[in-house]
Order: sequence, then C-alpha cells, then structure tokens
Amino acid sequence: MPPRIQNQLASNSLLPFLSSTSTPSTSSSASLSKLPISQYSPSSSCSSRRSSRPFSSTASTQTKLRNEMFTWLKKEGEALKNHTPGSTNYLSALRFRGEEGQRPPSWPFPLNPSFVSEPVLSEELRNDIYERVVVKKKSVRAVSVELGVDMRRVGAVVRLVELEKRMKQQGKSMALPYARAIHEMIPTTPLHDDARGHRFKPHEAINDLPVHRLTETQIFYPVSESRQFNRVDAGRVFSAAPAQEHTQVARNASDPAAAVSRVTQQPSTIETVGKGADETQVLQAADMRIPHPHLVAHQRHRLEKPNEAREAQDLYKKRLKVEETAEKERKRISKERAEQKLLKVQPEASRFEFRFKDVEVSRETVGKDGRGSKAPGHRYGVPSYDRKKGQVKIPTRVEV
Amino acid sequence: MRNRATTPLSKPKLRQSWSKYNLFNLQRLRNPPTIAKTFFQQKWTAKSMARAYHGEQVRESQWARMFSRRIRSVVPMNPVKLAEDDGSAMSAGRGSGLENVTYAEQGRANSRLTPFTQMTFAPLERRLDVAIFRAMFASSARQARQFVVHGAVTVNGKKMRYPGYLLNPGDLFQVEPERVMFATGAPKDKFERREGRVARRKASETTAEAEAAEEGAVAAEETKESEVEGKEAEQEAENPREALKTLLAQAKSIMAGNKDAMSAKRKQELRGFQKAVKRVLSRSESSTVLTDSLESQFSELTLLLKAKRTEKKNDKGSKKEQKQSAAQTSESSSATASESQPGEKLTEAFRQAAENPEEEVDTSELTDDEFDVLKRALVQMRDNPIDSSKPYATPWRPRDYMSAFALIPRYLEVNQNICAAVYLRHPVARPGFSEVPTPFGESVGTSAFAWYLKRR
Repeated sequence: MPPRIQNQLASNSLLPFLSSTSTPSTSSSASLSKLPISQYSPSSSCSSRRSSRPFSSTASTQTKLRNEMFTWLKKEGEALKNHTPGSTNYLSALRFRGEEGQRPPSWPFPLNPSFVSEPVLSEELRNDIYERVVVKKKSVRAVSVELGVDMRRVGAVVRLVELEKRMKQQGKSMALPYARAIHEMIPTTPLHDDARGHRFKPHEAINDLPVHRLTETQIFYPVSESRQFNRVDAGRVFSAAPAQEHTQVARNASDPAAAVSRVTQQPSTIETVGKGADETQVLQAADMRIPHPHLVAHQRHRLEKPNEAREAQDLYKKRLKVEETAEKERKRISKERAEQKLLKVQPEASRFEFRFKDVEVSRETVGKDGRGSKAPGHRYGVPSYDRKKGQVKIPTRVEV
Repeated sequence: MRNRATTPLSKPKLRQSWSKYNLFNLQRLRNPPTIAKTFFQQKWTAKSMARAYHGEQVRESQWARMFSRRIRSVVPMNPVKLAEDDGSAMSAGRGSGLENVTYAEQGRANSRLTPFTQMTFAPLERRLDVAIFRAMFASSARQARQFVVHGAVTVNGKKMRYPGYLLNPGDLFQVEPERVMFATGAPKDKFERREGRVARRKASETTAEAEAAEEGAVAAEETKESEVEGKEAEQEAENPREALKTLLAQAKSIMAGNKDAMSAKRKQELRGFQKAVKRVLSRSESSTVLTDSLESQFSELTLLLKAKRTEKKNDKGSKKEQKQSAAQTSESSSATASESQPGEKLTEAFRQAAENPEEEVDTSELTDDEFDVLKRALVQMRDNPIDSSKPYATPWRPRDYMSAFALIPRYLEVNQNICAAVYLRHPVARPGFSEVPTPFGESVGTSAFAWYLKRR
C-alpha cells in the first residue's frame, strides 16, 4: 500500500491564519497551498528532509514545519531567548525593531495592542508602602493618594510583605533569584525620592469609576432648556427616581462638598426607590462613587482660592481625617451590631462555643411558604440536590 | 485529566504556555480572513481559536454557563474635571452642550474606545489555575493545574485542591517556592542530572556523614546571614574582610562538600572565585562596610560566568556585551548607592583596588567591572547556590523564551519572593485597554463574543 498523501487542506481553524513567514503577507497566508512553502531557507529545509527520508517521495509536513520553527528560533527568535535586564522582550518588539529605533511596544501580543504589559510595584516601593502603613501608621487612603496606588493594592501589599517577613522569620525557603529575574523582565514603577515624582507619574489610576449597570441603557429624557441638568439629576433619571425638590437642589448647589461627604460618610442615608425586593438606592453621581471623593472637594477649594495653597493643604488633611474617623466609626458600629445579634455561650469544661442568632420570620426573609432560600436551617420538604449529577461542590470562599 | 493542550505545528493552536512551539505559533498568528465567509463561519473560527487558548481545560458547557454578556468596565475620573463643573454644561442646550463638538475632537474620543469584546473570557481569569499562570508561578495553565491538584497551592492559608476554584476579590494564593523555581527555571542538562544521581547514591550510602556535613553547612550559612544582618543594624565601621572571608569559607565548604559531584568546569570557576576573593582581601583593607544592598541586582551567576568564559575564548564579540552589562550594573549600583551610603563606598573601594597598577595579573585577567560582577556573583552564590539535589538547573536561571511571555495583569498583586499573590478585583476594561491577556485581535474577540450571545 502506498503511503498516504497527507491532506494539506486539513480542516483546522487556525491553520489558514498562520503565515509561514515572519513578515506579514496576506496573499501567502490566505492561500492554503502556499503555506508549507517556507521562505526562510528552502535549501536547508530541503536538504535536511532529503537526508532524513532519502527514498520517500511524500512531502513530510511535520519535519518541514519543525525545520521552519528551528530556523526561526535560531534567526529571529534568538533575541527572545534571553532577556536584557531592565527592558521588556516581547514578540511585538521583534517586528518593530527593523522599522524604527524607538522604544519597543509594550504589548506582548502583536495582534492585541489593547492589552499592555503594565508596570508592577518595585521591591523598594512595596517596602515603602508597608513602612508608611504599618510603621508610620498612615491610613490606606492617604498612602494611596500619596503614591498613586489603588487602595486595594495597598492593602494587598501590606498583607504580602507581612507574610514575607513572617516567612523570613520562620526561615522558610524563598524564591529570590526568581523574583530578581521577573523584576528584570517586566516594567516596574520605581520609588521616587520626592512626592512629586509619584504625583506626576502615578502607578495607576486611583479614581476609577465602575460603570454601573443602570447607566448601560440609553434613556430619552426631555428636560426644559432653562433647567440645570447635572450629574446628580442624571443619576436619578437612570434609577427612575423623581426629580429633587428645588430647596434640596439649592442646598446642594450652595455647598457641594457637604452634599458629597454626607453620602460618603453615611451611606445608609441614601434615598431609596422601589418597594420590597426591588428596593434599591438611588444611583449617585460620579463625585460620590469614585474611591477618593475628598479629592474633588480639595480640587474645588483650590480652584476657588488658587492663592491659598497651604490652607488648601491643611483643609485637605482635615478632610482626610474626618473621612477616616467616619469610616472607623462605621466599622465599629457594624461590628457592635453583629455582636449584639449573636449570643455566645461557652459551657464550662467544654471545647465548644455555641452561637445563637435570632431568626426573623417574615415575608422578606423566609417567603410566603417559609421555604425561601434565605430561610434558616434545613428546609422541610425541599429536596437537597447535593448528590445529584453535575452539582458543583467546589468551595466558593475561603475565610481568612 | 488527560492533557490535550498540545502545541502542534501542523494543526496549530495557541495555548496558555511558555513553550517555544507556542511562541512560534504566536509569531505565525494572523487575523482570520472574513472575505467570502458567512457570519456563522467567522464566529465559529473565532470561538474555536479563542477557546483553544482560554480555558481549554474547561468543558464547553461549563464555560457557556460561566459566560456573561455583561462586561465589567471602569472609567478613570479626573477630580479636577469633576470639580470644575457639575455636568450641566454637557447637557445644556438641546442636550449635547451649547458648543458644537468638532469632528477632530470626536475622532480623538473614538480612538479611545473601550475594548469590551476583548474581555469575553474574563470570567475564566477567576479560576485558580489560570490566576497562577497569570501570576507567572507556572509555565503553563496545565502545570498550574497540576500544582493545585498535587496540593502545592494554598488559598488564604488553607490548602486548595480544586483548580476550578473561583477566586474572590481579596483572596491570597500561594504556591510552594520550590515548585515555582522548578516551573520557571531552566531544566537540567544531562551532566547535571548525572550529578544529581551520583549525589543521591552517595547520600544513600553514607547518610550519617552527609547529614552532619549538611548541618555544618547550614549552620555556617545561618551564622553568616545573621552576621550580615547584625552588621547592617549595629555598626557601619566593621571590617568588610570578615564578610568576604566568610564568603570565601562558604565557597570552600561548597568545594569540599560535593567534591565528586561537581564537574571540572564548575570547580575551575569556583577556584577562580577563591583566588579573586583572596586578592580583594589583600587590597581592600581601607574600605569600610559590606552590606546586603549590593546583592539585589544581578540575577544569573551562570550568565555572567558564561560571558566571562566566552570572553576568554573569543575576545571581541562578547566583550561588548560584558561591558554593556557592566555599565548597567554600575548604573544600578549607583542607584542603590544613593539609597545607602555603604554601597557606594564599597564600589569605590573595589575601583581603587582595581585601578591600582601594582596588581598582579597572574590569577585571571579581571577588570574593575569584573571585580564588581565577581562580588555580586559571590553574594548571589549564597542566595542561588549550586545544588544538585534540586529538580532544576542550579544556579537557578530563567528558562528560555520566558521573557517573551512575561507579564503580570493589573488585577493581581504579586510578591515573587514568597510566590504569593492577591486577586485584587475582577478584570475590567477601560478606555483603550483591556485587562484580559489574550493574543487575539479585536476581530476574533468580537466574533467569539457574538458566538456566545447565542443568537446564531
């Protein structure tokens, strides 16, 4: 039986889009028949094929492709093998290098410029964050603004450095050469000596406004031309709340900073719309929903009184302090409330602590028939599907 | 689960992997043609291309359940802009502001569109195995999965054996550092493997002796480390000779420890070190302090050694590289010197020692740069020792072609020293940027998203 001729037109989704050359040529990549024709070094691939299969007339695609690959790796791909410390070494730079002598592109995938390899915190900056938070006892919010690092990231850095210190103390093995190599390969944000450096070149945007679900719809809302229709009004329209009263509007306009701080410091006072299960808070304006609302008030003060820089700074610190104390107070109250609801009983000479929680039986909690999903305990008459096929038993959360 | 995540060349598929085959396939990748293709065909090819990369370990039905048409996005706000106006200027007049927006401005706004459809596979980034791969703790998503299944991964301090665990914002996951070093390090060559075998055999023969020797070595190391730390804390004026001496002693102990298990080349290198250290010791009597600050810069001992060796063989080509790298080291050392005074002094001392014309050239032709390099190399020998018992090539160096895939997305905060990372938040799109690392272009992303909308 003669050897089967391999079908070049094999149905593969990716094959037609993979060009055999490093230079993008749409004509060659579009046609299937041209694919195996290598444009690197036909002589070398041919010779090696000849030597490996002297009596065969069948084109062996596999060896050919492998040849192609290894020639590429030896020629163009050679630059990607090892990194040069302090600079990225991406495939997109490889194509770029021939054209211009500028900075290499920072996206690792040539076809996807919308994903950029963004810098990570350098070792020094990480330690500095830890020192500011733990040693100098600064608040996470203040450190975030100072260094231009997201608040969640500040918290995570503190946790990780704490863990690192503990591991060092316990004498556990660490991956120091690995860490060093990684920090050489990817861009890093250095620690600047003065605060200005961090202000002008922040690590990341700290005032990201998450796009709210309600704002995804397009609404046609007619408004009289004489009306000042601002962000607060737009939020109310999106959440289908009635327009504010004139007195309220006037009060907010006279002191916008107070209006913002009222919402951010006492979130429970936010107006709600809807009834029962559909009850939701009115969508607030961007001024309240960004992570650092106090910065808006600070900027407003600076715009109003541009010559009082020091006063503005003092006011900023005061505002920050107020914000922090309000946050602490809120946490304390919620903790107290949780403790009040929970009754802890620990019998003498017992290993266990019993915790009792009051149960509220209402239409909202347990539903009409008492079998609601929020109802406490085992629900009689409701089948448990945990042995059924396809039931996922992977834990959904791990408590710290 | 059988590993079907192969990276063939004839039927190429992109994978979440750092292999050179994958790199070659990535280099060949082009956007699929849309001419003379039905919309269904376009969507089908796009989704099959994308799914080979994104969560090929996840069953299609499982992924279809995870898919969400709502894509998270954020808009970075400028507090100055928010302070300037309350938004009423934008809605003035007939609802789009009093002034007409020019076409040029519109064009600028359009150039920063949010790439929503590049975020199609964002739910998969929540998976533990994918997150481990993204944090660069494993060389492929499959390997990350294996680490999880084999119990090398903890989430919030508890062992987690499910690769499909969906991380919640704030979860801290950690992989054993040894596994990470194995996954990301260069593999052993056959000589090193043999060394390991020989060492193991020898260890099994004389366990008691080996244990004693190891204990001694460990103790020496510990005392040395504590000494260095203590020095940093206590007084600056302590003699650097002590530190260098301990380093020398360590090099000797390594030589003595596994005499038979080392190749001749390694031995020669080590002997060269010892000689060089002796020479520095004889010269740097006047220098003041030696601290840890300098040891932070260079990663690979072997790379430097190789460069040195090649220089001896063919002088010119590699000399330039050596010079460049040396220049980089001097820059970086000056950077560290600005932070800590002693580092500067030490480098000065080294320079003095090298500039001295009385120098003998008998041991090896070392320049001042090389002295610096040598010093670093010696310090790193402590961090990154030659150890045949490890499953990777020692001293550790990154595997080939790793830098082409080196990236850490913003939704993770990684501490490489302890191989731990925090999943900060879910990946989001922002104007002009997406946070899901995908090698495919906009056209593939959009078609794949359209496929999963289920309106075929």
